Amino acid sequence: MDRRIPLTILLVLGIVMMLQFFIPSRPSETFFEYVFVRFGIILFGFALIPSVGSLIRHHWKKAAARKQGWPYSIVALVGLFGMAAVGFLDREQLLGGASGLFRRLFLNVQVPMQASMFGILAFYMASASYRAFRARTFEATLLLVAAFIIMFGVIPFGAYVWDKIPVISEWFLEVPNMAAKRGIKFGVGLGIAATSLKIILGIERSWMGGGGKG
Amino acid sequence: MSWRERLFKIDRRVLYLLIAVAVVVPLIKPLGLPTAVTPHAQHLFDAVDRIPPRTKPLLLSMDYSPSVMPELQPMSLAILRHCFAKKVPVIVMTLDPNGVGLAEDAILKAAAEYPEIKEGVDYAFIGFKAGYNVVMIGIGQNFRATFPTDGSGHPVEQVPILANIKNYDDFAMVITIAGSAIVESWIIFAVTRYHVLLGSGITAVSSADYYPFLQTGQLCGMLAGMKGGAEYEELLDKHDYSHAPKRASQGMDAISSAHIIIIVFIILGNISYFLSRRKKA
Repeated sequence: MDRRIPLTILLVLGIVMMLQFFIPSRPSETFFEYVFVRFGIILFGFALIPSVGSLIRHHWKKAAARKQGWPYSIVALVGLFGMAAVGFLDREQLLGGASGLFRRLFLNVQVPMQASMFGILAFYMASASYRAFRARTFEATLLLVAAFIIMFGVIPFGAYVWDKIPVISEWFLEVPNMAAKRGIKFGVGLGIAATSLKIILGIERSWMGGGGKG
Repeated sequence: MSWRERLFKIDRRVLYLLIAVAVVVPLIKPLGLPTAVTPHAQHLFDAVDRIPPRTKPLLLSMDYSPSVMPELQPMSLAILRHCFAKKVPVIVMTLDPNGVGLAEDAILKAAAEYPEIKEGVDYAFIGFKAGYNVVMIGIGQNFRATFPTDGSGHPVEQVPILANIKNYDDFAMVITIAGSAIVESWIIFAVTRYHVLLGSGITAVSSADYYPFLQTGQLCGMLAGMKGGAEYEELLDKHDYSHAPKRASQGMDAISSAHIIIIVFIILGNISYFLSRRKKA
């Protein structure tokens, strides 16, 4: 019985929202605005509560049990609560408003840290491409040649070597790449439509948990 | 160890050091390599340039977090500079919670270069809203219901640039600068449903995904990676809209030298592979 309620809500709303899309009238738009837009934004806001709660619970348990890497959990919790507190105080103009502590912490701590984490990828990619990017088979050779042309095409140095390299690189992206991407996107689109229908009709129930049984 | 084996087993620390030098040196002493403008960047620039001054605003959605900021922030800055120089009103928003600080920073930097530009009249920041697809549809249905206040909490009726916005029809165009697949959501919800003129700026790694949308015209133009930002900076400079330091162009020098190191090492790796295969045979 408890599973029938969410399944019924899903079935009714799924069908109504599909019908609404094809009815361009004022009542239909108003319905959409209240049910989807307003309710949706509220729902997304409330979704923060379980996600933040789960983060706190996970790190609290890890720190309390002194599991491996527990000091990092303390750092995560201090960062979470510290930034939130500074944010609330800043919002009330207690710490300098828009140019205050929150902004300085964000720009001088979070931004360099996240950008550095992403930047480190360049080193791993260089190492991995040296060790693994080999012309072992015909397909691997094709990939290697295409990668060379694209890499040369996107840097200004490529045009120095031969002014046609950027043109060939662009052709690779606009013809073979686009053909492959379009095929993949059609497949993904059909898959999304089929899966959505299965969910709306209650055939696919794994989203409810419990391995889709019941 | 023979020279072939040495070639096959170059210590990764050597490679890391070479990459670090290749990135840092051009950032300290820029090489000044010229940037050729691709048609997709030119189309986006032209679309913004066609917007008449002081008419419908451009909606700039800065949908990215600090991890991809080095690639994408120069694009946002360049587009803001273009709008400010041309007196095209611009409304900035973000669908990424981490994008708020980046958007504020970009606006403050660009606005400082154009003292005649006024907040609330020439530009406004409407902040972050959760649930990106809901927000995209919400703007098309009822802008005020989706954004009742600007980013500072002022009711939209009291902000001149926002007061007359009802839905997408009141925007000249939308540009999303994104580090994720959010561009596709803009295409699905804003372009397909509301026929919005959409341009995008994306990371280099995801640019290949969006070529089908450029061909169909669902994207009017695209800036791909730091190169895209450098191309837009080049166009601003060429048209005398901005002569601010070209951060993306400087970054391209570093990317160029790092690419060359990677290409050289791939070639070395393959030479050693073929030599070792021949030896085995």
